[in-house]
Order: sequence, then structure tokens, then C-alpha cells
Amino acid sequence: MSEPESRRRFVAVAGTTGLVAGALGLLGALARSVVPDVLYEPPRRFPVGRPADYPPGSVTFVPERRLFVFNTPGGFCAISAVCSHLGCNVDHEAGKGFACPCHGSTFEEDGRVRKGPAAWPLPRFAMVLSRRGELVVDTRRTVGPDFRLKA
Amino acid sequence: MKGRLFRSVFRVGWPRTRQARLQAMLSSLVLHLHPTRVRVHVLRPSYTLGLGLISFFLFVVLTVTGLALMLYYVPHPDAAYRSMKDIEYAVTFGMFLRNAHRWAAHGMVATVFLHLCRVFFTGAYKPPREFNWVVGVLLLLLTLALSFTGYLLPWDQLAFWAITVGTAIVAYFPVLGPQVRYLLLGGHEIGAAALLRFYVLHCLVLPLAMAFLVALHFWRVRKDGGLTAPPARLHRRVPAWPHLVFRELLVFVLVLVVVHAAALLFDAPLEGIADATRTPNPAKAPWYFLGLQELVHYGAIFGGVVVPTVIVLALLVLPYVDTHPRGVGVWFAPERRVANAVFAAIAVALVAVTIVGTFFRGPNWAWVWPW
Repeated sequence: MSEPESRRRFVAVAGTTGLVAGALGLLGALARSVVPDVLYEPPRRFPVGRPADYPPGSVTFVPERRLFVFNTPGGFCAISAVCSHLGCNVDHEAGKGFACPCHGSTFEEDGRVRKGPAAWPLPRFAMVLSRRGELVVDTRRTVGPDFRLKA
Repeated sequence: MKGRLFRSVFRVGWPRTRQARLQAMLSSLVLHLHPTRVRVHVLRPSYTLGLGLISFFLFVVLTVTGLALMLYYVPHPDAAYRSMKDIEYAVTFGMFLRNAHRWAAHGMVATVFLHLCRVFFTGAYKPPREFNWVVGVLLLLLTLALSFTGYLLPWDQLAFWAITVGTAIVAYFPVLGPQVRYLLLGGHEIGAAALLRFYVLHCLVLPLAMAFLVALHFWRVRKDGGLTAPPARLHRRVPAWPHLVFRELLVFVLVLVVVHAAALLFDAPLEGIADATRTPNPAKAPWYFLGLQELVHYGAIFGGVVVPTVIVLALLVLPYVDTHPRGVGVWFAPERRVANAVFAAIAVALVAVTIVGTFFRGPNWAWVWPW
């Protein structure tokens, strides 16, 4: 290969590589910008009122948080009202458990699946008592069926 | 002077001679999309049923009515529903525009699906038309995506819960599902970010993709040698002006008449404002996804992931697998008995589950009789 030809080849390869790299970088930046970093959504950890708001033995639907608060003899627990199947709100009927209006899944009182199509139980969220004496639910942390918050 | 001005726009005047008719087809941007001469075989309405053309004209109607609606619609949860009410009650002909947009969209989903069936049953996807079939499948998916993204915009209960179910199905796709849903919604739930994203997709991204692929689809029809015809009928042609052009005009007028009639007779639904705390019972997806929802009822992975993925993949590879040039250009060719039977069975099954999901499912998705 003569010298000018190899030089020409080098410039072509370098130019093409630079062009492709630049284009990919631009596309990557564009794709990354589509992923939101700040979410203007309700917080995923929030208070749901004082223990006294929930009479012993009650099951209360908290509509704006889409979950149920149980005050059982063993303590408090929170179960998601969002069907694990496709995201509709389940209805609760005392003693019978939960039923989803969208695709007919039913769940036991403790959130386990009784009848599909739902494949997973309703998530149970961690709860803590804040220093101001409020029940706080953390929807980022799920807990097992034995979890109870003494309050 | 008038003659010169006219000639500067239209090189050929009103074409009266055969030569002028051929020239007219070549000298106009729109007409030049057509061949100068067209096969007699494909002009018969019973061959194509005009389904592709009807789909395209519905897309034109949707673009025009959609642009008008954009002048009043505000894509934010605080304002969207109110702007829908404005469009319906405070904009002259607003209700009519919205109705036309809604019914044309539903009609387009139907005609694009039927067009796919027509192309299959006439064997028109065989080489050299494999790639145009693939473009057609992408156009069907784009049509569904456009319909789906538009469905959220009214921000009523119908919209909110249909999109809740639809995006939850997306999250079932293995590995990437939850991420795609997060990207689509711009967050974890259907809120302001999701509405804005659906709006941009619906009004800009998807229509541009659609326009590009429609152009490619039409161009490939020409490049692949026009619409299919059986070998014996390949060579009988007539000038496109007036035989094709005026038929197309007639189809356009018919589409306009039907859309107008539907928009005047039936109002598009608008339920109460979107409320994440109240799920309507039953909560239903848009009708063209109710077959999917019915399948999802049997199992989310099966109905929401396996069935649609298999169908789309099968459609995409079909023209590269079934390449035998027998029975092309006629409906239900006896040589294609097996292929036609298989396709018909799948199409009928899809229509059947859609009908079940639409009319036979009541509260808690329990079986109800529609009468």
C-alpha cells in the first residue's frame, strides 16, 4: 500500500469512527434525557393518621393512598388496594377478603391469592409509628404476612 | 395572463386526450404516486375492497380533526378534562370534531385489520412484496399505538382505567417490561408526566412515524410492480386517469360521508373525571384490546405477553417463510387452502375473544348475557 493511500484510509476510518461515535453519543444522551430524574408524584412514604382513627378490628380503605389499613388484635398492618394483576383497585368485603372488578381475581383477608388470574398476593407495606404519634406507611418496603405494628 | 398562471401550477390542463392523461399523472406530486396505467384486475372493488385506501383517508381525516382539537385541548390533569368539556359544549362544532376523530380512529383500527386480512387471503404478501407486508404490520402496530395513546387524553374514568390496565400489561414483559412502563409513564403512576408523554406520542411522534411508513408503504406498492394480479391478468391495463383517480375520489367522498354520519348520529363517550381511588366495575380497555383483556383474564403472562408476541412475530416472518408464488392475486385460492384456513382460524378466534370481552363480560369480569 502506497503512503498517500494508507493515509487516505486512516482518515476515512478515523472520520467514520468519529461520526458514528458522535451520533451514538447524541442518541444516548437523547435516550437518557427521556428517563425522568425528578418525579412530581405523591411521596411513597407517608402518614395515614393516628392509631386512634382506626377502631380495633376495623379495615379502612384509604382512597388517596390506594391501600387498606387493618387494626387487628396483634397490631396494625397495611395492604395495597392495587390489584397485583393489572393495577385496578380491589374492593374489600369484611370476612370475605378482596375482589378485583377488572378481571375477577379474589384474595384472602391477608392478601393471598384465592382465585386468579392474579399470580401474586397483594403487597403488604412496612409501617412505623412517627415521633408525632402518626402511623406512617412506606410503600417502597414490603413485608411478610406476620408483620404487625404495635401502637 | 390567467392561462400562464394556471400553467405555472398545472403543467397539463384538464386532460382530454390519452396522452394528456398520462402526462397529467406524471406532472403532479400527488398523482405521480400513482402509475400512469393501472391493471384492470385491481380496479374491481371486490378485489381490494378499497381497505388500504379507506385506512389512509381515515388517517387524513384524523390528522385534520386532530389538529383542530389540539387548539383547545390542554394536556395537564388539572385542565385536560375541563378542556374536553369545553370542546364538547363551548366550541362551535367541537362535539362534532371530537366525534369524527373518535369514530374515524375506531374505524381505522378496523379497516387496517381488515386490510391485513385482505392482503393475506389474496396472497399479496408473496415475493417481491415481503418487505411491504412487514411495513404493513408495523403500520398496524402504529395504528394501535396511536389509538391507545389517544385513549388517555380525555382524562375521564374510561381513559384512566383503560390505560391503567394497558400499561400494567406492558409491565408483564420479561426483563424490560417495568422499565418500559416507567419510561412510558414518566414515573410510577399515571399522572401529569404520563399525560404529557402520551400527548406528545399521540400528536407528534407516532403520526410522524406513521406518515413516513405510509409513504414507504405506497412507494413500495409502485416499486414492487403495483397491486397483485394472477399471471393471466397482469397485462390488461387502462390509464390511471380517470379510471383510478376518480375511483379514489369516490372512496374519499364515501369515507367522508360515513364519518360525518357517524359523528352526527353518535356522541363519543365522556365519563366522569379520572379518579385513581375509584375503579369502575367492570374496568375495560379500549374495545380493540378487549380480546387481549379477555386473554389476560386467563393469565396475564399468557394473554398479555405470549399471545401478542407470538402473533406479531408470526406476522413479521410470514412472508419470508411462505414464499411459494401459487394462488397470488385471487381471493381464497384453492392452492392456499391450508394457509388461509390457519389464518382465518386465528383471525376468527381474535375477533371472538374481542366480542366476548366487549359484550359478555360484566362486573368482576363475570360472564353476562348482553340482552
